[in-house]
Amino acid sequence: MRKDKKNKRSTAAVAAQRMVLGGLPQEEEEVLQSPLQMVVGAFVKDKIAMTGVVLFTFIFLCCIFLPFFFPIDLYYQDVTQANVGPGFGMLKVPSQLKNNAQDLSVGSSFSVGLDKDGNVYEWGTFPNEKLKKIPSSSETGKLVQVSAGLDHVVAVNEDGQIFTWGNDRMGLASIPMDLRTGGNDIKQIYAGYQISLALTEDGEMYNWGSDYLLSISYPEGVQGNIEKFAASTNIVMVLTKDGEVVPLTNKTSAYTQIPEEIQGNVVDLALTDECAAAVTSDGRVYTWGNNIKKGLDVPENIQGQVVSITGGRYHFTAVLQDGTVRGWGDNTHGQANAPKDVTVASVDSGYYANYAITEDGSVVAWGLKGYLMGTDDLGRDLFRRILVGGRMTMTVGAIAVIISTIIGIVVGGISGYKGGKVDNLLMRLTEIVSSIPFLPFCIILSSILGNSISETQRIILIMCILGLLSWPGIARLVRGSVLAEREQEFVTAAKALGVKEFGIIFRHILPNIITVIIVNATLNFATCMLTESSLSFIGFGVTEPNATWGNMLTGAQNGQVIENYWWRWVFPALMLGICTISINCIGDGLRDAIDPKSKER
Amino acid sequence: MGKGRYLLKRLIYIVFVFFIISILMFWIYKSMPGDPVDIMLGSSKTTMKPDAYQALYEKTKASLGLDQPLPIQYFAWMGNMLTGHFGYSTQYKQEVINVIGAPMFNTVLLNLLTMVVVFVISIPLGIATAVRKNGAFDKSVQVLTIVGYSIPTFIIALLSIFLLAVKFPIFPISGVRSAGSTATGLAAVGDMLWHMALPVLVMSVSGIGGITRYVRAAMIDVLRMDYIKTARAKGLREKTVIYIHAFRNALIPVVTVTTWWVVGLFGGSIVIESVFLWPGLGKMLIDGLLQRDFAVVLTMQMFYVVLSLAGNVIMDVAYTMVDPRVRLDG
Repeated sequence: MRKDKKNKRSTAAVAAQRMVLGGLPQEEEEVLQSPLQMVVGAFVKDKIAMTGVVLFTFIFLCCIFLPFFFPIDLYYQDVTQANVGPGFGMLKVPSQLKNNAQDLSVGSSFSVGLDKDGNVYEWGTFPNEKLKKIPSSSETGKLVQVSAGLDHVVAVNEDGQIFTWGNDRMGLASIPMDLRTGGNDIKQIYAGYQISLALTEDGEMYNWGSDYLLSISYPEGVQGNIEKFAASTNIVMVLTKDGEVVPLTNKTSAYTQIPEEIQGNVVDLALTDECAAAVTSDGRVYTWGNNIKKGLDVPENIQGQVVSITGGRYHFTAVLQDGTVRGWGDNTHGQANAPKDVTVASVDSGYYANYAITEDGSVVAWGLKGYLMGTDDLGRDLFRRILVGGRMTMTVGAIAVIISTIIGIVVGGISGYKGGKVDNLLMRLTEIVSSIPFLPFCIILSSILGNSISETQRIILIMCILGLLSWPGIARLVRGSVLAEREQEFVTAAKALGVKEFGIIFRHILPNIITVIIVNATLNFATCMLTESSLSFIGFGVTEPNATWGNMLTGAQNGQVIENYWWRWVFPALMLGICTISINCIGDGLRDAIDPKSKER
Repeated sequence: MGKGRYLLKRLIYIVFVFFIISILMFWIYKSMPGDPVDIMLGSSKTTMKPDAYQALYEKTKASLGLDQPLPIQYFAWMGNMLTGHFGYSTQYKQEVINVIGAPMFNTVLLNLLTMVVVFVISIPLGIATAVRKNGAFDKSVQVLTIVGYSIPTFIIALLSIFLLAVKFPIFPISGVRSAGSTATGLAAVGDMLWHMALPVLVMSVSGIGGITRYVRAAMIDVLRMDYIKTARAKGLREKTVIYIHAFRNALIPVVTVTTWWVVGLFGGSIVIESVFLWPGLGKMLIDGLLQRDFAVVLTMQMFYVVLSLAGNVIMDVAYTMVDPRVRLDG
């Protein structure tokens, strides 16, 4: 076995002594180093390779551990959050508003606020440029209420005149004549998903824009009797002056199953995208609808104390008698973490955030601040997807490498040790496998075999395809090394001792060539990650909703996305690029460390 | 053993490999879900009477030869393949041979141009870095090449689209020729080259990265040899030493790598073709898979297999050409 001796105190005396004594061990002063230790020693000194190790380890650890802190629901989609740019400005209330707020409203990815003088402020990420064209105060007069929707804003002035800006398609700009001229006392306005709603003091409701999703129909006797309304993207419900909850639809759904016992007794009403909640006059909250995001799980200890309630996309916020706020429901962005120690005058909730104006006039905000890396076209948080995508890409790469390395070692080991016919047969097999055109074959296999199986099985299939097609390189390398090693004395010794062939190959020869295998496996890992990404990128690898760095880039193939939504391709591409470069640097460093000759290069 | 006999032996062996892979592929395609006859007949199923449809179904099945046992189907198909009858494309409603001409031309053109670009850049670059090893120039090229071959081609594609087609609209984003272009002759060639610029650039980057490194490593090994010292001692000009004495010997390892790279290049162009909507074989393969067009997919796959095996043969021949010492008796 090749055991190199390294002298720690390389003095001339020791050198002379060594010359005399030849290769005999020099007790104490001689430190015996295995080839592996030597390699590690040389490797640590390689700056580029160590940078690669640090970078890769960092990304690896992030991808493994951060998903526990940033959990992700792979099936979650929300069009209202589509293509939001990176940044955390969504809750940054302008300082002029801080102590002077009249009304605040949460929009999809932006917010709008009104100060006591009727000036409008907007902040956050704007879905379109038209939102920034706020009508001048000379045109609007003194505004008293605002409401932000998906991509438009509705506002009303003290004369009851309604204004709108932002998206003007789908009939959003055609405000009903009665409301345009003013003269009505507007009680409530609402900007929603491509629709605007307004309610007068007389209990008349108006809606304009597209009611395709909501299909509003007014049951008899409701118009003129409306006290308050609540809306989500699925339904509009009203609270009549008699304290009854009436859905403005003629379809039955989970929303329309209103508990009978509360009718006539309701004081406030709120909706999320999956359920509804009503507050009765005795301060209790009743909820109905679906409970996927835990919107029905009202905290028990607030029952009997609630005075009003507001709803976001998947959460509720309730104001209690003593002015404190409580939230429940979906808490992915902290929107249900209502501040404990404030006494509020009014609360506005929408989408994933809440604003509260406290009794002393200051503004408190909680919920979605923004996205570190923006969102994709389905409104999914890119940062979270990059984390789980990285985990997926690395897992697929690692398992594929393990499969191919094991096959390579077994085939190469047996082939090299046995020689003769076995060697010939195995090498022909290796040649056949390596003649198979890699990428086309992967595409075909995954598209044919991957058709009728589940997503998890599909991922396993991809790992196996990659592993089963990429072993010839390692097999050849192992065969070559085994050929060189099998003539060494220690093999003869092992044979003489009666060690079985299998034992000789895998227990005696293998440890001597393990460094070569490690280097090759490292470089193979980068190749497998690349192949997996390429496959997923063209849609034949891991498919949605599972994320990998490759399929995150699939949607970014057209010029429009590349130009306007840069965050959708820059971040996954950066991650993948850094990882593969790091791994290749590590592989190169390892190769140099193993092969002393290559240092001269 | 002479060169001729060796090459003959290799050829026979490669034909053997070809048949094994073709059987493997045939088995895979046959186990595919989905009925090609149904797909070919399309909407007739809903518009025709059941018994009339059944008759048409059997007729079509027989005309496609799908009623025969599998081995017979395989041999019939192989016989057809070898005589250029690649089968009937259920997607194009035409013989496959009639539809693969243009895509094959496009793909081969794209890859050939890439090869030219890569060799023209990487070989001189590899030699130059080897001669000036460990200098500032060498170090910076080393870093660039490792970045070049590490980054996946589709990321380079996105980057280059962003820079050269969107931010600075110099080149078109996709396609083969300008929409509605009626240019002929030289102008048409120019238009096509202009459309090829981005795909060729993208495909070249990783090739340049990899091959430059190989050329450099091989050259460094060769430049340490005694015969190089001899050549220099004889008083030969440095250019002669490097380009004639050293480079020819350095070519041996480079040939191996290059062959594998070329085979991989054709496979990798599937991704590039799908990004740049380049109507080549890769795009045809993907379309064929999505449309369950067995004949097209099989033909494409065969093309890649033949290409890969031809790569092996070319590698063998190239060895004998670059290095007369290579004894081909393995």
